[in-house]
Amino acid sequence: MHNTPTTKTIIANCLKWILLLSLLALAILPLVWLFVSSLRTNLELQTSPFGWPEKLQWGNYTKALSMASLPRLLFNSILVAASTVLLNSLVTSMGAFILAREQFRFRDVLYTILTAGVLVPVISFMVPYFSMITRSGLYNTLFALILVYTAVNIPVSIFLVTAFMKSIPKELEEAAIIDGCNFFKRFSAIILPLSRSGLVTAATFCFIYSWNEFVMAMLLTSSIESRTIQLGIKFFSSQFITDYSSMYAAVIITIIPSIAGYAFLHDKIIGGLTAGGVKG
Amino acid sequence: MQAAGTKDRWVWVARFLFLLPVFLLFFFFFIYPFFFTVLTSFTSWRGIGSMKFNGFANYTKLISDPTFRKAIGNNIIWALCQGFIQVPLAALVAMILVRKPFGWRTLRTIYYLPNVISTVALAMVWIAIYNVEGPLNAILRTLFGQESRNWLGNPDTALFAVIFQTVIYIGYFMIILLAAAMNIPQSLYEAAKIDGAGTLKQEIYITLPMLRGTLITTMTLAMAYGMRHFESTFLMTGGGPAYATTTMGIDLYLRMDALRYSEASTAGVFLIIMGTLVITILRKVFGSSDPMSEMAQ
Repeated sequence: MHNTPTTKTIIANCLKWILLLSLLALAILPLVWLFVSSLRTNLELQTSPFGWPEKLQWGNYTKALSMASLPRLLFNSILVAASTVLLNSLVTSMGAFILAREQFRFRDVLYTILTAGVLVPVISFMVPYFSMITRSGLYNTLFALILVYTAVNIPVSIFLVTAFMKSIPKELEEAAIIDGCNFFKRFSAIILPLSRSGLVTAATFCFIYSWNEFVMAMLLTSSIESRTIQLGIKFFSSQFITDYSSMYAAVIITIIPSIAGYAFLHDKIIGGLTAGGVKG
Repeated sequence: MQAAGTKDRWVWVARFLFLLPVFLLFFFFFIYPFFFTVLTSFTSWRGIGSMKFNGFANYTKLISDPTFRKAIGNNIIWALCQGFIQVPLAALVAMILVRKPFGWRTLRTIYYLPNVISTVALAMVWIAIYNVEGPLNAILRTLFGQESRNWLGNPDTALFAVIFQTVIYIGYFMIILLAAAMNIPQSLYEAAKIDGAGTLKQEIYITLPMLRGTLITTMTLAMAYGMRHFESTFLMTGGGPAYATTTMGIDLYLRMDALRYSEASTAGVFLIIMGTLVITILRKVFGSSDPMSEMAQ
């Protein structure tokens, strides 16, 4: 059954690679273009959208960092994303522990309701979120964002962490109970350390969401003290109106954490995505 | 027995306390907002003061409002493009990658990359790409000698332009489909090969039927996403020009911005209804698969 390549398979192969490579180009060329543009002068940008900079303009980056209150916005974003990840991990690890390792009535119903939150279009809740946050005096605070991001991520995190905790063998816990471990010890000494991998996956999704989030930040904050970097590059881009290369440098700065995180944790992210998908 | 009883009670208290934070957050940010949205949609509330019920006034107003109708229409176009172009394309790529061509792991990783980058950053890039003086026009001019267009500024091309850029997010669906395709037992393909079935036949008679459940799930996700689409369009066009790219989410935001809170809530109710409708219709048409248990993002 030895096949010699026929014209048909050669054409099929070509089409296959054209598709794969054009999608590859679509995924990375915009980013490459952005990066190259961030290193060109404004004059070069105006002359032609393409082209390699005559001299690499790293100065665009220092200019970007000195404009538009970028450092403050970056600091806010880091604070919000880090706090959200911590709060969300704490809250979901506790909740998931009960949902995965304890037996009680309505447990599965509760789990289904919590994870079904993924299907809820959160943007339809702009009015209640805004009204709730304003009435509680949290409008224009970083805490408002932390609270909303933590809550919005609960369905995904509960889904990922509960699934992970369920996969820990019962025997480990039973041995601990015989050794006299109580409820808290079982959580803190057995289940929590063993679920580290699942928690990291959930935390990664949570971080990406909080770092990139735009709509709620726009809705719930109004001044530079509590705005995040995403709003910064959107609304303060007016400061760059004649200085596109610095604006592109600013955008590159904001996506570096995402790309760096993805470079280290892409296996976790892909694993997290497929945790549910394979059940088909 | 007494001791065991008290201990038991403490365990219940502990369980309750452990679940409480998750439950409170879920209640205040999912359950309460839902009822709040539905309730205010039947009032003439404008953010301050008491709520006066006005029945279906907001609903009739929105339905007869051409901009809101346009938004619903655009969301339906979005949902159809996501479900019937994006997902099949993702499935095609998954079916190629499952045969492990050269560099498939790297391709998989890079295809997902745009999903972790902020919409604000990518929207800015696409604004530049679609610019009259931008790269897209430069490419089309040199390759086909086509005249420069204002892709986002022209009502005829704007919707196409904002929908087209979502092709970069294909990696999300592709990864889910690829994982499912990798779970198909190899023995099925070997048996088919012995029976003399070529690659194409194998894909049609083995891969596609085996992927059915996951395809339905990803289509559901994709179309539900199309119905709630907001961010990249809002950032690229703000719903314009002349409402050509508006969606229910953008309509909601603009009404809220104009302090028409109850109308915004009504738009929110429409958004929820349309999203639920898509999920229900897909389940009715394709039979049930359980999207709830398969959601990871």
